[in-house]
Amino acid sequence: MSGARTLQVLLALGGMIAWAVQFTIIYGVTSTLCGRGWADATIFGIGIVPLTILTTTLATLSAAAILLAVSLREDRRLRIRPASATDSFLSHAGVLINGFSLVAILWNGVPAFILPACA
Amino acid sequence: MNAPELPKSFERRETEFPNPLPRPEGELDALKKAWKAPKGLSFITAVNNTYVGLWYVGTAFLFFILAGILSLIMRVQLAVPENDLVSHNLYNQLFTMHGTVMMFLFAVPAVEAASVYLLPNMQAARDLPFPRLSAYAFWAYFVGGLVFFGTIFFGMSPDGGWFMYPPLTSTKYSPAENADWWLLGIGFIEISAIAGAIEIIVGVMKTRAVGMSLDKLPVYSWAMLVFAVMIVIGFPAIILGTLLLEMERAFDWPFFIAERGGDPLLWQHLFWFFGHPEVYIIFLPATGMVSMIVPAMAQTPLVGYRLVVLALIATGFLSFGLWVHHMFATGLPKMSLSFFSAASTAVAVPSGIQVFAWIATIASGRMKLTTPSLFVIGFLFIFTLGGLTGVMVAMAPFDWQAHDSYFVVAHLHYVLIGGMVFPLFAAIYYWVPVASKRALSERLGRWVFGLMFLGVNVTFLPMHITGLIGMPRRVYTYPVGMGWDALNLVSTIGAFMIAAGVALFLVDIARNFRFAGEDNAGNVWNASTLEWLPNGNYATRSIPSVVSRDPLWDQPNLSKDVEDGRYYLPGTATGGREALVTSPFDARPQYILQVPGPGWQPVLAAVFTAAFFLLLTVKFVFTAVICGILALGCVIWWLWETDPGPVRPPADIGGGIVVPVYVTGPMNHSWWAMIVLMVVSGMVFTCLIFSYLFLWLVNPGAWPPQDIRIPDWIWPAVSAFLYCGSAILIAVASRQLRGEDRRKPRPVPILIGVALLLVGGASAVDLWAQWQTDLSPSAHAYGAAVYAITSLQIFFVLTTLVMGIYTIARWLAGKLDTVRRTTFDNTMLFWYYTAGQGLVGLLVVHGFPRLTGGV
Ligand code: HEM
Ligand SMILES: [Cu+2]
Repeated sequence: MSGARTLQVLLALGGMIAWAVQFTIIYGVTSTLCGRGWADATIFGIGIVPLTILTTTLATLSAAAILLAVSLREDRRLRIRPASATDSFLSHAGVLINGFSLVAILWNGVPAFILPACA
Repeated sequence: MNAPELPKSFERRETEFPNPLPRPEGELDALKKAWKAPKGLSFITAVNNTYVGLWYVGTAFLFFILAGILSLIMRVQLAVPENDLVSHNLYNQLFTMHGTVMMFLFAVPAVEAASVYLLPNMQAARDLPFPRLSAYAFWAYFVGGLVFFGTIFFGMSPDGGWFMYPPLTSTKYSPAENADWWLLGIGFIEISAIAGAIEIIVGVMKTRAVGMSLDKLPVYSWAMLVFAVMIVIGFPAIILGTLLLEMERAFDWPFFIAERGGDPLLWQHLFWFFGHPEVYIIFLPATGMVSMIVPAMAQTPLVGYRLVVLALIATGFLSFGLWVHHMFATGLPKMSLSFFSAASTAVAVPSGIQVFAWIATIASGRMKLTTPSLFVIGFLFIFTLGGLTGVMVAMAPFDWQAHDSYFVVAHLHYVLIGGMVFPLFAAIYYWVPVASKRALSERLGRWVFGLMFLGVNVTFLPMHITGLIGMPRRVYTYPVGMGWDALNLVSTIGAFMIAAGVALFLVDIARNFRFAGEDNAGNVWNASTLEWLPNGNYATRSIPSVVSRDPLWDQPNLSKDVEDGRYYLPGTATGGREALVTSPFDARPQYILQVPGPGWQPVLAAVFTAAFFLLLTVKFVFTAVICGILALGCVIWWLWETDPGPVRPPADIGGGIVVPVYVTGPMNHSWWAMIVLMVVSGMVFTCLIFSYLFLWLVNPGAWPPQDIRIPDWIWPAVSAFLYCGSAILIAVASRQLRGEDRRKPRPVPILIGVALLLVGGASAVDLWAQWQTDLSPSAHAYGAAVYAITSLQIFFVLTTLVMGIYTIARWLAGKLDTVRRTTFDNTMLFWYYTAGQGLVGLLVVHGFPRLTGGV
């Protein structure tokens, strides 16, 4: 598997990987903080749990957005100057997957704004 | 050695064929001879995917029938109130066995089995890359599964429900061996499933028709790829879970015993991290099958190929974000639960995409109402209903209401029967003409469908109501006058309708299924994919090059040209069995893989492995160990014949493409398999670290417990040093083994030997360090967790020892040199992994308690 191909696959799957990272962090952190009763701590007046969820969501969201932008550009480039069928397939898959991930990540972050941290 | 650069243009060349006609005399005969299955008693040593695949499917179906019979007994018992056909105790065993056998011995093996048969055919590969591994997986499953099922006749079956929650399954409440049967039996079957998954991943990625680049891969291959990756990620969790529970039961290490710092919830996490994806693991291959059947029935290409692939991949990811939704009723924080609710609803989107793709395909073509079509329609109907009730259960508040009632039983069966059994029947009716001289009967097929479809709804629709009006699941009987009587009777009648449908299906099989060598019924549906090419034991005569996703529709004369031998590799280059390995993305020919043929080794290895696990269950430790050693011996005997080296110079496969018959390094198929194996190992280890952290979380102020002394830091430092040293020695040996000149460098066995002493020493030092602090593994979960990490590491080190000694033996036997070094590469990869895992283990065990300072 050549380096260029590995990059293409990572680009195509990147959004879902970002989703997995977000999921792991927000789940891991809230369970740890709530489990140990450390959730009352605040930073700048914001509860530590919503804060983690917010920052994690924003970080992974922007990662997915960047990936989406890159795969869109790649897709457009390939449309003008067609390469192999595999290349255009991978770039197209990247657009679809990263777009979907964007929504999934957003959807995951919503609870932070409507639910109490640990109840 | 690297494959030659290939002309980029070979995908496009349609007019001229790689190989001229007429083909030389005797070419086809040599091919036939190489792939012939053994006769007589040794027939069972056959490894051709066509034989093993069929045995595998047949065995899985046998378990479907056996588990089905158990469910009929349960339904008879529940037909009327206060029935005493079966006792409370037996009923517990019945539902546990029914659920377990259906999930572990039928559903997963059935879809894996179907792919052993179908994948190579669909990708025009001669066989899967590791045929003996599939044979091993099959025989292990066959022997282990039958013995496991046999326990029901001795009242020794597990009775803790199919998810075996402790503390119910702990020694305290289940002192007898019933639970051990589940833990060892199922743990073992999972290993066989993982072996199959490795085979599938490498098979999909590396053995395809020429030019079948990723964008032309059949949807079924995509589905199986995602399926196999999910197994590789998900099954380690349950393997670790069963391992921990078995260690608790055997050695009293309290992972799940709350009084000593354990937590039964840990089991639930490990179980459902596997268990929820399990539903999709079963479901995805079924959708892959449907995506092949629908276009053939509608005679038009699948609409939205890319979206369907996206849906498969997204489902693969999202399904791992769902495990806790089975634990809504366990009092976790609402916020954590909401993440899972989010994922549960999100995962409905990809399923929806697939359903729309099928409906659009049906709408854009003209669907013929054949038996496969009927089963597909039945699947859509039942599965959608199951999905709707699923969304209801996914709403946490509703789940609290319906939890553990018959509503859940109804939902579960709609999803599983709709999502898996119906597509499987569609697939059988659809693909039998590939394997048999005659297709199955359309007339009988309609009856089979009708009975099953009505039966399922008559059985399970009323159960929604039975559940809502309060009937709990897993009860062996119920009193008169609860208003449950009539509904239950209806359900029982429905169950017998399903049974009648299945019985009729068996009649159909008996009447029409005739195993076909080269004279199968042919492309009766005018389908478009490669499994419908004329084929024999050797698969297709020559390996086609394809230019689209529907080659049989777009390349009109393909069947004839393939059969005449005009395409690639129309004979055998080495005189033995071979597969053409292609590059993972663009499917350009890379090299010829010399595939091993039939042999007793995988069969015997499987029987002894099964014996090892089963004898352990009944505590015949000594005999078990002997069987274990025999199994290991058979595996070594088996491996000894592999890694043949470049037996001849690169061969011309046609069209001016010359490929080597042996390569090493990252292009090699076994390199890929090793990488996947490392992912599996890494997942087991990750789950163990998760368990360690989870136990820390539930033990505030006692990590480690007050009276425990942590070993001095010098010990882990020494151990880490030794791990690194051994890895460096292996790296040096690898450098020594470079070159094209087929040298056998002398230092190699010495380097490996010293490295062996170092890894052995590393794990011995670590064990001793723990030992001398008097840490007891059974006093508290802390000790249990520490010793679990240490024990897993010792297991890996022991495996490394065996591999190292084996590699030295290969060198001594003159079977290892600078070119023929796959054996060494495999050992090397595993070695690096073991050293890496050792280092992380040391870091966690010695670093984490210091970091948290016992908080
Ligand atoms: C073919 C017709 C089938 C019938 C009549 C049937 C019937 C039943 C019955 C009566 C129960 C016990 C309910 C209870 O007492 O709580 C049950 C449980 C279960 N069934 Fe089925 N079943 C069928 C097919 C299947 C299939 C195809 C699968 C999976 C692929 C399956 C998986 C399960 C599972 C996982 C359980 C739960 C076991 C437990 O509670 O531990 N069943 N089924
Ligand atoms: Cu689930």
